[in-house]
Amino acid sequence: MIPFKYNVRNLRARWKTTLMTVAGTALLVCSSCVLFGLVDGLEHSLTVSGDPLDLIVLRKGASSEVTGGFESKKADELLELNGIERDENGPVAAKELLNIAMAERHDGTHNNLIVRGVQPASRVLRPDFKIVAGRDLEPGKGECVVSRNLSRFYKGARVGGVIDLGEKEKYRVVGIFTAGGSAAESEVWADLKDVERNTGREGSVSCVQIRAASAADMDQLRTTIDESAQFRLSAIPEATYFENQSKSSIFLKGAGTLIAVLLTFGAMFAAANTMFSAVKSRTREIGTMRALGFSQRDVLISFLGESLLLSLLGGALGLLATLPLSFLTIETSNFNTFSSVTINFRFGPMVMAVALIMTVVMGLFGGMLPALRAVRLEIVSALREL
Amino acid sequence: MKYFTYILRNARRNPVRTGLTIASTGICLFLMMILLSFFAMSAEVSSASRIFNRIVTMNANGFAGMLPVARVRQIAAMDGVLAATPFQWYGGKYHDEVMPFAQFGVDADVVFDILDEFTIPADQLADFKADRKGTVIGRKLAQDRNIKVGDSLPLKGDIYPVDLDLVVRGIYDGPNNRDLRMCLFHYEYLDESLKQTTMGAGSGGSLATEASRISGNAGSIFIKCQSADAMVELCRRIDDEYRSTEFPTRTQTEEAFGQMFEEMMGDLKNTVYWIGAAVVVSLLFVAGNAMAMSMRERTSEVAVLKAIGFNKSLVLFLVLSEAVLVAGLGGAIGALGCKFLCDYVDVARFSGGFLPFFYVPWNTALLGLGVSLFVGFASGLIPAVLAANSSVIDGLRKVV
Repeated sequence: MIPFKYNVRNLRARWKTTLMTVAGTALLVCSSCVLFGLVDGLEHSLTVSGDPLDLIVLRKGASSEVTGGFESKKADELLELNGIERDENGPVAAKELLNIAMAERHDGTHNNLIVRGVQPASRVLRPDFKIVAGRDLEPGKGECVVSRNLSRFYKGARVGGVIDLGEKEKYRVVGIFTAGGSAAESEVWADLKDVERNTGREGSVSCVQIRAASAADMDQLRTTIDESAQFRLSAIPEATYFENQSKSSIFLKGAGTLIAVLLTFGAMFAAANTMFSAVKSRTREIGTMRALGFSQRDVLISFLGESLLLSLLGGALGLLATLPLSFLTIETSNFNTFSSVTINFRFGPMVMAVALIMTVVMGLFGGMLPALRAVRLEIVSALREL
Repeated sequence: MKYFTYILRNARRNPVRTGLTIASTGICLFLMMILLSFFAMSAEVSSASRIFNRIVTMNANGFAGMLPVARVRQIAAMDGVLAATPFQWYGGKYHDEVMPFAQFGVDADVVFDILDEFTIPADQLADFKADRKGTVIGRKLAQDRNIKVGDSLPLKGDIYPVDLDLVVRGIYDGPNNRDLRMCLFHYEYLDESLKQTTMGAGSGGSLATEASRISGNAGSIFIKCQSADAMVELCRRIDDEYRSTEFPTRTQTEEAFGQMFEEMMGDLKNTVYWIGAAVVVSLLFVAGNAMAMSMRERTSEVAVLKAIGFNKSLVLFLVLSEAVLVAGLGGAIGALGCKFLCDYVDVARFSGGFLPFFYVPWNTALLGLGVSLFVGFASGLIPAVLAANSSVIDGLRKVV
């Protein structure tokens, strides 16, 4: 077996070429990692949003909170059902009303924001709802709290500011919240009554969120809500609901995969180029090694190892380059709801998997042909080569 | 030009290396085309809509706001207006598929006068107008789903608590860069159904705010103006007219309306541009490396060239040309290849309804070509300067 040190020293001796290759592949790996970090962030926000005992009640046929909506009267009856978890403030269930309205960003462009009219229990129903600046809103005073993500992008979205959504809809911002990275972090929360009044939608709710006391109660609640003539609504476990919503990220994921595959090919060719040149300039060395008695397999493994090491350097550098992006949040539009969605870059298993796959693929496939060429060299003619 | 053969021979001397560099550049440029076209295309389509003299009215607070349908008639009667139609997003499900394609409630009598870039056989249009439950769909949508005239097209309400049992009465066609995946049906059919629904008040979703409460929401209004000059003035006049009403409006040209959607994408655009930039820089390294490796192998050759009288600038030129040639070839394959691929294969079909159409605009393809030439030039610069300044004696003495 040819010592690995041989390969390390070779890469060092040809440091300019090594550096160029590493820089080139690192950038390509980094680009793919950024994309997948964002896709992962989007999917993560959807998976953490669902608690196993939470139900979300929509009108039958509606596919999401923004499309669902039913009479407030029914919603009030829902809150009285048995089997709902209770805490010191009463049942852990809330009527919520969503409004979509256009708001201005700091840079003067516009996007639609989701304003969620909430009840006190709404906070308990989200994972880790926390006020991180200012205070929570008081009902009926035209106040709102804004997610920390949105507060970075929108005009007036700071404590003491005003979210201006038109003549009749203005909310004073009294606090900034986080919600454990869940989907609520792309929303503005105001009091249910305020939203009802401002949008002229008294008597209507978008959805009702319920936490069941136990798994058995949850099944019971689902049957009642889905089938009794009184309701005829659709109660969906939150986890399922968000799973369905994540279908919207499939396009993004598909696009990300396509991009990563193309970039991998680009990086693979770059690595192959470098390795071909490495083999070519060391023809005599290879001949010498073979003459000394190293087998064809030894040579193959040695050159594949060098190629892997080269791409590992690129992959590791590319992965490291994404570390500072852990605080990256981008704000764009979700075309299922036509409204703002903020995505936090997530440095997680998905990013690492992408970097690893790219590294291995470009190392192995990029190094394979050059290594095979090295193996096939005739010892005598290789030694004769200048 | 007399050196072209020499440059070409040099480029072909190490076919594997040149091939890999071309492939690497080509693939990266192909990717860049896809990324950039997404935004360039929507910008081009928005600005191309200028010639249609159309303006769009919606509620000042966004799509979800109320826009009373009575205003369609009022606006149509205004000076300078040729015709106006409601354009209401229905967003229904097709066989339980959420948001399968765009569906709009329109005024069948005038919609094809307003969207006059679309063509539809006269008999089909007449059938559509005559059938309250009729619908007209785009050619590409018909092809995707294998739907023919006469087929039924049931849509289930998602935003609205009513289902629509549509029957396809016609298939419209039009230029490839217009949305040929829409489903247009009678506005009255949806509105009447909403009035009759047994569901109680307030059963519409947020995207339909007022609509299901009192029906009669036009969603948005598409207006065809008599002339281009009248557009700006009309936008102002319409907004002034409704400023002090319960539902103020925002009227803009179709171009601005299209840009509004682009604006909504926010940071996504910058993210994509950053990735594009990273790919270009990476290509600089990849192509530069390949060129440097080639030149290192040819050190003694360059020395011979100089010894027989090639001057510095000529050597510089020879090396740079080779780099530009290789990268440019990769760029041409990647950029133009992507353009022609998208022209012949309907890529949008695989986007799951996300994109109605996709193509690479010429200016983007040319930009890609330009980028590859730049990559060739910049990546060849250092090896070229090194070769031009190399010492003849050292070069001749060197054994590679």
